[in-house]
Amino acid sequence: MRASSKKRRILALVLALVLALAATACGGQQPSDPAPEQTPENQTAPEQTSAVDPDAEIVLAGYRNLAPGEKDGYYCSKILYVWEPLITQDDTAAPQPCLAESWEMSEDGTQWTFALRQGVKFHDGTDFNADAVIANFDRMGMEVKSSSFYPLDINTHYPNLEKYEKLDDYTIQLTFSQPAPTQLYNMVNFGSAIYSPGCFDENGDFNGICAGTGPFRITENVLDEYVLLERFDDYWGEPAKAKTIRVKVIPDEETRFAALKSGEILGVIDLRAIPAALAVELEGSDGFAVTTTKSTMIYFLTLNGTEFPFNDVRMRQAVSLALQRKVITDSLYYGFGTPTTNILNYSTPFYKEFPVEEDLAKAKELAQEVLGDERVTVTYLYQGDAAAQKAESELIASWLGEIGIDCDLQPMEYANMKELMKAADYGISRMQQGLSNSEPATIFRRFMLTDGDQNQNYSLGYQSDEVDALMEQAAAALDMDERTACYDRIQEISTQEFPVIPLYNDQTLMAYSTKLTGYEAKLYGIELPLVGWAQ
Amino acid sequence: MGRYLLQKLLSLVPVLLGISLAAFVLGAVSLGNPAELALSQGGYTPTREQVAAMERQLGLDASYPVQYLRWVGRALRGDLGESYSSRRPVAQELGRRLPVTLKLAAGAMALACGGGLLLGCLSALFRGRWPDHLIRAVVNVQLSVPGFWLALLLILLFAETLQWLPTSGNGGMRHMILPAVVLSTASMATAARLTRSALLAELGKQYCTAAAARGIRRWRLVVRNALPNAAAPVLALLGNSLGGMLGGSVIVESVFALPGIGSYALEAIGNRDYPALQGYVLLTGVTYVGITVLVDLASLLLDPKVRLEGRRL
Repeated sequence: MRASSKKRRILALVLALVLALAATACGGQQPSDPAPEQTPENQTAPEQTSAVDPDAEIVLAGYRNLAPGEKDGYYCSKILYVWEPLITQDDTAAPQPCLAESWEMSEDGTQWTFALRQGVKFHDGTDFNADAVIANFDRMGMEVKSSSFYPLDINTHYPNLEKYEKLDDYTIQLTFSQPAPTQLYNMVNFGSAIYSPGCFDENGDFNGICAGTGPFRITENVLDEYVLLERFDDYWGEPAKAKTIRVKVIPDEETRFAALKSGEILGVIDLRAIPAALAVELEGSDGFAVTTTKSTMIYFLTLNGTEFPFNDVRMRQAVSLALQRKVITDSLYYGFGTPTTNILNYSTPFYKEFPVEEDLAKAKELAQEVLGDERVTVTYLYQGDAAAQKAESELIASWLGEIGIDCDLQPMEYANMKELMKAADYGISRMQQGLSNSEPATIFRRFMLTDGDQNQNYSLGYQSDEVDALMEQAAAALDMDERTACYDRIQEISTQEFPVIPLYNDQTLMAYSTKLTGYEAKLYGIELPLVGWAQ
Repeated sequence: MGRYLLQKLLSLVPVLLGISLAAFVLGAVSLGNPAELALSQGGYTPTREQVAAMERQLGLDASYPVQYLRWVGRALRGDLGESYSSRRPVAQELGRRLPVTLKLAAGAMALACGGGLLLGCLSALFRGRWPDHLIRAVVNVQLSVPGFWLALLLILLFAETLQWLPTSGNGGMRHMILPAVVLSTASMATAARLTRSALLAELGKQYCTAAAARGIRRWRLVVRNALPNAAAPVLALLGNSLGGMLGGSVIVESVFALPGIGSYALEAIGNRDYPALQGYVLLTGVTYVGITVLVDLASLLLDPKVRLEGRRL
């Protein structure tokens, strides 16, 4: 009798436990549970047949804060369409009017006059005019503002700028100490972001949510959680399709993927939106699509050119010849990448295509000329948190082994890699570079001029009198053809002397639910104003 | 009792000094010039003049002991410097994020306590029988599964497939369930093991044998008589694991997109943001010490032997 009552009690205890667990799990589904975000699905999915509310909130996600806030030089990324530049770009990265409606260059190329768009309002209600643009130039001139996107530096975007002035309420003029025929390319997007002067404090920092002129305004920004965008009804152009868009921060790519699959978010945006492997998986499933286009990012190996053996151009050529770039892009990145030997990214209109040469026999020959019959061991640094880079470095190390280079592979944290590279304490390193604008001189200057900052920071040890001379010639050239010829030649030199060893040009890769329309990858992000609910 | 407390508090002074020194040294010995790091966030390459000016501004021209004293002085006033990457005051950032981590740790601790004690009691109650074997097997799995993997599995099951819970984000209780389960798993398992062995040790003692002989039911004996005596070591263990949870939250917060201090530390590592890392080390170190003191005080109340410092009754 006692034994059975004991058993009953135990049974009751176990049942109570199971019930408690079940209640916890079910509790989450109760409508009374305070869910902070009403996902569009929750709001609109009672019946599949009913029409979608076009004003329902659209939830997207990226891996980082797309609006880092007041302390960031830009407050938020261009891809949120909150602020607009004077000059933007089209799909071929050619400059297009935005807040500047038209422009004119003086005959000697030292003066640019911009006619500003009229009838444009900032989100705070003030008018966009020449005074606002001048205030933004004043701010840029104060100091270099750091940003998680690109540094806001007047000298990068307006090299040799002597003065900026207002000619009338809707005309401004920039004067340069040297001819600046490609200045428009420098000013594209991040180069000419314009904000309402009312949102800066005396140091040029934002004093609250930024007020731009874009089709969306920020109504709420909770750092590390989400930024809430709302359609700006007084927008001067075509209004945005979506009424509100919430962009969440989900740093982990697997979690982002799960959130997309579960319907919690409807699309992923920004760099690293979705890894190629997961995108391929998603392409096969119903209800999702992947959009892709050229990216402004290029991936390459840097070699320590200040020391043996990579101070010898033949060794750098040998490394490039030994690589099978197509194998890398096809097997590791599912074909989302274009092999290249050109230092310049393929998204700028100045890009020149060169054949990608692979020749192991020639590579061995060149390496032997430098190494003799010896082998050399070098450290190969790569980012430890990037899974694909591990496989990539093993592949590359196996090819380099054939030309006499033994690689000591060292996974590392990115900042440490840069530190070792600066100290010239490495052999090979895997790096990447984005284009802040489509003026290629920026890249040539940084990597190929003797005192270029990346040339120094990465200990590339690259020096070429011809490149120095070509860059000077290009800077002084008024004629675009002459300048283009200089740029073509510099690119050609880069494929022969290899200041770095380019691997491949990246592709922007983003995924979304087919409940949305207008989700199309662009050179820099997606065109958010075109994103809306599919009917 | 008073003397015991005083001794405890005095013994904290060198520990806290050690923590502050470790946090400072972390910044001082790390690779690279802090002034240059502070200026070169976002890909900008500062000029030599800018670096020199920043060195003066950060007080890096002084000797290390002077820098340390200044840093401690500022830290005591709640000023932990400015983050290199976000340019926001570190103390303010930590203050903003701490509640998220505390909420997560509290949830995880509740699960570890409840689950650990329950599993431990059941295991002891059914010693040598199938529930005991099952629980021990579960506990072994809990101890062996890596947190990030478990996190992904739970997201796959409960968020992606069943859609019962959100995948990530900061929000109400629902958002905390999966992260807290992941964070508590290892502590729950250790607590279950310790509870089981402590209970079995207690059950072997004379007072339990006598109580059993008097006909007290076994579950009552375990829960009412043996458990309070077995609780002290479990409590100490859970107190210590709370420190581990604060550290373990780095991964969990990152996977579940929770803006706590763990994900802040992870970002800081990626950006070589030393003021942020120093602040994190200091905060978690001090919290850990604080928790240890609280656990000691709780043991003091639970266990007369501690209170009497070995003196005879």
